Amino acid sequence: MRSENELIKLLNRDLNLLSFKKLRKQNISIRFENEELVSGLNYLKSQNYIHLATISCVDWIEDNQFELIYQLFSYEDKISLSVKTRINRKTSKFVTIKNLWGVAKYYERDIHDFFGIKFTGNDNMDELILENWNEIPPMRKDFKTRQYVDKKYDWRQYHGQE
Amino acid sequence: MDKSKMTEMFFGPNHPGVPGNYGINYFYEGDTVVSAEPNPGHLHRGFEKLMEEREWIKNTPLVCRICVMEPDINEMVYAMGFEAIGKIDIPKRATYIRSIILELARIQAHIFSIGGNCGAIGLYTAMQWGVLTRDYILDLFEEITGGRVYHIYIRPGGVRHDIEDVTLQKILDLLNDLENNRMPEFQKLIFENPIAQKRWKNTAILNQEDALSLGVTGPALRATGLVHDVRKLIPYAAYEQVDFKVPSGQDGDAWTRLKLKKDEIFQSINIIRQLINNIPDGPVSLNLGNALKYKIPNGEAYVKIESSRGEYGYYIVSDGGLKPYRVHVRGTSTPLGLYGVESLLPGCRIEDVPIWAHSLGICPPEFDR
Repeated sequence: MRSENELIKLLNRDLNLLSFKKLRKQNISIRFENEELVSGLNYLKSQNYIHLATISCVDWIEDNQFELIYQLFSYEDKISLSVKTRINRKTSKFVTIKNLWGVAKYYERDIHDFFGIKFTGNDNMDELILENWNEIPPMRKDFKTRQYVDKKYDWRQYHGQE
Repeated sequence: MDKSKMTEMFFGPNHPGVPGNYGINYFYEGDTVVSAEPNPGHLHRGFEKLMEEREWIKNTPLVCRICVMEPDINEMVYAMGFEAIGKIDIPKRATYIRSIILELARIQAHIFSIGGNCGAIGLYTAMQWGVLTRDYILDLFEEITGGRVYHIYIRPGGVRHDIEDVTLQKILDLLNDLENNRMPEFQKLIFENPIAQKRWKNTAILNQEDALSLGVTGPALRATGLVHDVRKLIPYAAYEQVDFKVPSGQDGDAWTRLKLKKDEIFQSINIIRQLINNIPDGPVSLNLGNALKYKIPNGEAYVKIESSRGEYGYYIVSDGGLKPYRVHVRGTSTPLGLYGVESLLPGCRIEDVPIWAHSLGICPPEFDR
């Protein structure tokens, strides 16, 4: 079992980290360059970070970037690792990690549904949750729920309402 | 694959054997599933988007609705995320009350789940008994929080109000009744029932390797021989102050998972008794100011707790504003309900599909959040 400081030391020695941050007890976030991410995840998997809890995505619209966060956990170290990378919002393309974790296939499809990020190498990018969606992906920050509802549906008039 | 020999079956979204508004489309040959595909999305309510547009406190009544069976779990993870980013320490009595609520929630979820599993094999008596027994716990919840199913009780900074000593005594009485009267009845009706045993043993097997690579947690993982439990791995609330063992099994089949759930009910009873006996006095919540103006510095946290079916995680990002910048919900059954259907279901017999779905705890609202 490694402590948080030992882990950060080890990662700094073996990997090209952009930055790292202690979020809270037993939770660290580290950031990679785009190209380094898959090899980084591969290395972490060999270091017993075998549990991929989920893949999260955040739209940083002001920086014109999407952030992908791979939530890993090691049962030996008992540390949650949020592995992050930022990709260009315009091209919104990244590589799949389905060869490392098969389950990532569906997480990536989910992100494709809601953020419109294409994962090259993942051949099934069909709609998973949404159906016949033609608008901009709904979880993007520039998708305004209220505007969409006003455009899509008629507001119902109730008795006594002007 | 010779598709001319196969038949396609649309199992759900409207089917008594499927746990919720969710479908599994599979091809079968003879009696065996050959290939399967999940069909989610019938229950999507846009929670994550909605949460970005509401103040921090206004999300508390929202998150509990993500999964009907685990309302307190969602409230707890959300509050924990808020407190982790804001570096807020809550009063000690509040952590104890939270643990009591979470364990009561675990017992009711397990009882309901055991009942649901009996429904999946046609043992309807046990299903009704499960619903009835759960109702006694819901009565208690009503007394403590005012709500039966959705409690909106655990909130950022503590809990909404204190539990009185009379109610704590009522909880102990209920636990005694559960342990001495209800559970022995369940034991006789379900766990000593040869037909139920025959149906569950060696059915819906999940081996350790698959469980780990998929990211399966909770009883489904513990049934394969590991003892991983978030309550022990990353202790939260008052779990560091109690002494309990995490039960585990070996075979990884539906029977082992159900037996584990039964064992965990007894373990939860034990935990609640310890908590109630040692509960400290003091305030139960912090004054964080005007509830509609809660603000925490910018930051992020991935928080998780042990629900009745495994790890429930929230990834919360704050930009320092009045509302969360992003909340991502990781439901417990997401890996099994999506990729698990595709990779693990083939080879299962048609009549075992409901057992597979129920015993692995698939809960569609979690991935349709």
